[in-house]
Amino acid sequence: MLVSYATLGYPNKEDYLRLVKGLVEAGSDILEIGLLPKYAKYDGPVIRRSYKQVSTWLTDFWSLLEETRRAVDVPLVILTYLEDWVTSLPDTLARMKDVGINGVLFPDLLIDFIDEYEKYVNEIKSHGLNAVIFTSPSVPDPLIHKVSKISDMFLYYGVRPTTGVPLPVSVDSLITRVRTLVNNKLVVGFGLSDIEDMKKALRAGADGVAIGTVYIEEIERNGVESAISLARKFRGILDGS
Amino acid sequence: MANSEEIIPSYWYNIIPDLPKPLPPPRDPPDAEFSRIDLLRKIMPSEVLRQQFTVERFVPIPKEVREAYINIGRPTPLVRARRLEEFLNTPAKIYFKYEGATPTGSHKINTALPQAYFSMKEGVDHLVTETGAGQWGTAVALSARMYGLNSTIFMVKVSYEQKPQRRTIMQLYGARVFASPTSHTEYGKKVLNENPNHPGSLGIAMSEAIEYALSNGYKYLVGSVLDVVVLHQSVIGLEAMKQLQELDEEPDVLVGCVGGGSNFGGFTFPFIGSKKGSKYIAVGSYEIPKFSKGAYNYDFPDSAGLLPLVKMITLGRDYVPPPIYSGGLRYHGAAPSLSMLIKEGIVDWREYNEKEIFEAAQIFLQTQGIVPAPESSHAIRAVIEEAREAKIKNEKKVIVFNLSGHGLLDLPNYESMMKRIGQD
Repeated sequence: MLVSYATLGYPNKEDYLRLVKGLVEAGSDILEIGLLPKYAKYDGPVIRRSYKQVSTWLTDFWSLLEETRRAVDVPLVILTYLEDWVTSLPDTLARMKDVGINGVLFPDLLIDFIDEYEKYVNEIKSHGLNAVIFTSPSVPDPLIHKVSKISDMFLYYGVRPTTGVPLPVSVDSLITRVRTLVNNKLVVGFGLSDIEDMKKALRAGADGVAIGTVYIEEIERNGVESAISLARKFRGILDGS
Repeated sequence: MANSEEIIPSYWYNIIPDLPKPLPPPRDPPDAEFSRIDLLRKIMPSEVLRQQFTVERFVPIPKEVREAYINIGRPTPLVRARRLEEFLNTPAKIYFKYEGATPTGSHKINTALPQAYFSMKEGVDHLVTETGAGQWGTAVALSARMYGLNSTIFMVKVSYEQKPQRRTIMQLYGARVFASPTSHTEYGKKVLNENPNHPGSLGIAMSEAIEYALSNGYKYLVGSVLDVVVLHQSVIGLEAMKQLQELDEEPDVLVGCVGGGSNFGGFTFPFIGSKKGSKYIAVGSYEIPKFSKGAYNYDFPDSAGLLPLVKMITLGRDYVPPPIYSGGLRYHGAAPSLSMLIKEGIVDWREYNEKEIFEAAQIFLQTQGIVPAPESSHAIRAVIEEAREAKIKNEKKVIVFNLSGHGLLDLPNYESMMKRIGQD
């Protein structure tokens, strides 16, 4: 399963729409779309740069989400911080459903809202949306096991404490360990910085990978088309070629 | 009976997978002009950083580090404090794990050795750190020397002045020692500009050490607070568990003092993780009231804000602690894992003032003969109170505490305390 991330509206409207279409054509199974947050608590410097750029021009993100929905036919999962929506959650979820969004992923759910996470998961599901749960190495084993069963589509497991900073972690041993706890599809992300990391993750039992920072870095260096070719390459790895 | 070397574990214990809730991860501040998390890669040895973020419950201790532990006299003794029990006329049994029985006189060497070892393996030739009371700096100075590395220590100015012998030991081991705030770093210059007589704080010394390591391409060793330090210190608790098993004892109450939380966590976490014991007491200083007055918030571990934000019980990074004699307890925060366990009600806390800990130190040294470090005397005070309560309730409980260091280099402090408290 290839889950490709794009920051909504990055690098600009036209290129963003080209990117999401290209990522799907290149074989992405699911698109994860990041909404500009008030505080990118768990994002590394690369994704933060993309948010900063988007913040200079994007005012109506709902209409761009609608355009995204029209542009591609794979499931769309919104990545956004619950903190930003906690006071207006029912309306926001209803609107996402109307737009045709398939799921939502709150990276801060099990950290900043741990005492009420079940309430929020139920709320997401009650609006007909998939609740994709984000876990990480600092989530205790019994909790990973428990939430893996209620996470829709797949369980997201971020191997590093922040995106896009290649801190030294043992990807294979982390995933070998977490695989035994997860009763669901397991998608690994957050700092899979190179092909070797991806291969290790898959060999250790991951069902898929989530890629984000690498695309943004590639866009910064060589533009959108080059990021799309990367997606093609990742598809090849997943397909075993 | 196991021979003494068999008491030393082959693995360190990591409590993260056994915590009741997810440990909030480190963060970069909003609108950060650079990533502090990324900065960790530049300042810390990479194996130390890998262990900081590991989730393995048991992390193998390299053979060479285990040998180094043996070389410094591990396992440290677990001693029954019979004379203290008699003095208190308590039905409780009291044991202490004596971490003062290492060459540097405290538990700090348990993490300095592996951090220096991993640095040496990576080809690093110069280590930098900060120190409050001097125990950590001493441990780094010796560990660096053992692996043929140079070391520079930023020592909090008030301790530098109060504890000249600590400075001397570090220098004898071959370290360069500066009184922080210094004019060797931009941050130190800024602090001195604002207040030329600043007594210093651990947070400031930490910021200076990090800046100095960065600007010279050296590696920074971390002495407390971060998970990797607590991980290495778990050698204390793992040994104590085995030693108690050999004695056929089941501990009820476990006690340790808290500066940043490494000796407390290292001692108690293996027990907490395996659900041995029913009460865990973290003891801080009344004068530095982080447990009673601190907030559970994201805060910087260092005053300059060079390290990533971590969620911890904290008095705020700008907090300037009063110059109490337990220099090791002057830190503004407590380790994230310990902070969570306190917030979840799994670990209890106490705070005692200097007079209370001075009395406890006197009782201990007059019954057991060991001069405890003023920091460790905080734990002793809690032990005495628990033993007295056991007497009132006639409970035969087993109290075990970590005597995290000896106080033979704190005699001038005790002298001052004697004079001052005598005048009260």
